[in-house]
Amino acid sequence: MYRYDEFDQEFVESRVAQFRDQVERRLDGRLSETEFRPLRLMNGLYLQLHAYMLRVAVPYGTLRSEQLRMLAHLADTYDKGYGHVTTRQNMQYNWPKLGDVPHMLADLASVEMHAIQTSGNCIRNVTCDPYAGAAGDEIEDPRPMAELIRQWSMLHPEFSFLPRKFKIAVTGAPTHDRAMVRAHDIGIEIVRNAAGETGYHIIVGGGLGRTPVIGQTLRAFLPKADLLPYLEATMRVYNRFGRRDNKYKARIKILVRETGIEDFTRLVEEEFAALEPSDIAVGREELDRIAAYFAPPEYRNDIKAFDLSAQPEGFRKWVDTNVVPHKQNGYAIVNISLKDPERAPGDITAEQMRAVADLADAHSFGEVRTTHQQNMVLAHVRQDHLRALWDELVKAGLEDANINLIGDIICCPGMDFCALATARSIPVAQAIANRFDDHARQQAIGEMQIKISGCINACGHHHVGHVGILGLEKAGVEFYQVTLGGDATQTATIGDKMGAGFSQEELVDGIERIVNFYLDQREQGERFLDTYRRIGTPAFKEALYAKA
Amino acid sequence: MSTLKHKGKGPQAMTANELRSGLNVWMTADYEWSRDYTDALLTEDETVIAKMDAVAKAAERFNEVVGAYFIDTVEGKPTRYRERFRTHGPTYDTAELI
Ligand code: HEM
Ligand code: SF4
Repeated sequence: MYRYDEFDQEFVESRVAQFRDQVERRLDGRLSETEFRPLRLMNGLYLQLHAYMLRVAVPYGTLRSEQLRMLAHLADTYDKGYGHVTTRQNMQYNWPKLGDVPHMLADLASVEMHAIQTSGNCIRNVTCDPYAGAAGDEIEDPRPMAELIRQWSMLHPEFSFLPRKFKIAVTGAPTHDRAMVRAHDIGIEIVRNAAGETGYHIIVGGGLGRTPVIGQTLRAFLPKADLLPYLEATMRVYNRFGRRDNKYKARIKILVRETGIEDFTRLVEEEFAALEPSDIAVGREELDRIAAYFAPPEYRNDIKAFDLSAQPEGFRKWVDTNVVPHKQNGYAIVNISLKDPERAPGDITAEQMRAVADLADAHSFGEVRTTHQQNMVLAHVRQDHLRALWDELVKAGLEDANINLIGDIICCPGMDFCALATARSIPVAQAIANRFDDHARQQAIGEMQIKISGCINACGHHHVGHVGILGLEKAGVEFYQVTLGGDATQTATIGDKMGAGFSQEELVDGIERIVNFYLDQREQGERFLDTYRRIGTPAFKEALYAKA
Repeated sequence: MSTLKHKGKGPQAMTANELRSGLNVWMTADYEWSRDYTDALLTEDETVIAKMDAVAKAAERFNEVVGAYFIDTVEGKPTRYRERFRTHGPTYDTAELI
């Protein structure tokens, strides 16, 4: 994993000292709230519905075990003993006190972490395939590219005051997109061209929120050496032409749509041609230096085949759903579900964080990933260690066997915590998870992604859920609108809007009806989404609204 | 950012967040702040409202609270759903399971 160089460390520490001073000046009144607010936001500190919220950056969702332990320490020492994994792979704390935040940031800096660029109109934390470096379907590990983009975008003076926030996602596995690259301002896939060279497919103008848009191809094949100059050119076009007069039209997706992809591409190519690439292009040596941090761990070649048949049923079920093949013989990728039906999706206690950190040390080369599905991943686990690992997960209460099943719900904090919410989302996720709590039933339903947002900003990615749920409110009553047929992968699709909204109770019944309808209609090997696509909207809509 | 300007409907309450803790507070009949909404002063009296406004601005200036604003109430409760929600805190918090 990447280690800070001297510059990174010095910068992050100086930023902590700066913020400590700013907080002091705020507390004794030398800074007014108007002056302080932009400063705290630049350090990831929001004021939410009930309290402050600190969003800690987890660069491309990768953590060393000692970093996760530090996150646990923060949860225990300055918060209420838990943290929340977000849909952008970050960690949020719901209850910090202002005076504690400089201490939190100092603690984070001691393990090469911070909360910079987790807010504001800048390039946000780059998100990434959580199976990076481990998945067999990957052309190349995307993390060196993600790290390069992190370094380039960190405090980039030209791009610190963009028309709006800017989100980049990367994947090395274009045939199995687990990073939602088509729902980002810029998405990057590592691809191979006809000559067998690897390069980048650049996708632009995707995004969810009020105006959901699937990204379009900006450059089908970009030679690797051109990455930063090309991104720079794209950002410049956006920075120059993106609308600053209207917050709702300020994202690059609107610019691309209003300009048209052809003209937008031409503008980028012109800017790119006019750039002096040597100013920012990174040489072979630096690329190799970064890549070396992501070299494969020292796998063993003598791992014996592992016999599942003699193992307890709970363990076998968990292996079935949560464990996926690794590119290296004898290893496996382990998904740790943070979707206990009784909890808020993505919440993890300090104790559980420590348990995961210990497991990472014992079984996965000391490394942990967070996922945009609000779970965690141990990427390189020996198959013959799976049982020992599972035993510890059971002790920590982290053994939920529901990855990619109906219980693996993505859900934003909604009205329970978020200042922008129109309705709650957490109780809805809990109600659905409880209705479908039976593991055999979840298994029978198969892959199914339910995604819930507490307002139109769509942090819960509802537009791209197989079932998407949007919480709204009218005259003091919460209600929920449903979209069906969304898809967050390489075949990204915005879901179809159904009709009138539901109360929470009606909603859970409605979902049960469409699930039963699907089970009834599905053909061999189909997932919910496949059946939906084959049969079409009207039949599912009818099932959704059918009266009992 | 204060939106103190009063132009609401029905009895008004004044709310804000404590600067230090970030927690929600409401102005009481003594022109102090309470974390408990049931202590909140609700009034339609324009002179009292003007005084609440002045006190809240001063409290912001003295860095006790941030983001003070008036809310509408009806039958003793905030009118807007969001504001009603702020009076009782999250309906779910993982902290309560720990
Ligand atoms: C107080 C808490 C929060 C505030 C104030 C906030 C603010 C916002 C705003 C204003 C937007 C809309 C951007 C737009 O107009 O396109 C947004 C979108 C988004 N937020 Fe949050 N957010 C909060 C919490 C969260 C959390 C907890 C998550 C993750 C679980 C999250 C992830 C996202 C994502 C992924 C989007 C992007 C939707 C898109 O692609 O356009 N936010 N947020
Ligand atoms: S979708 Fe809305 S309610 Fe949910 S976290 Fe985002 S801004 Fe808040």
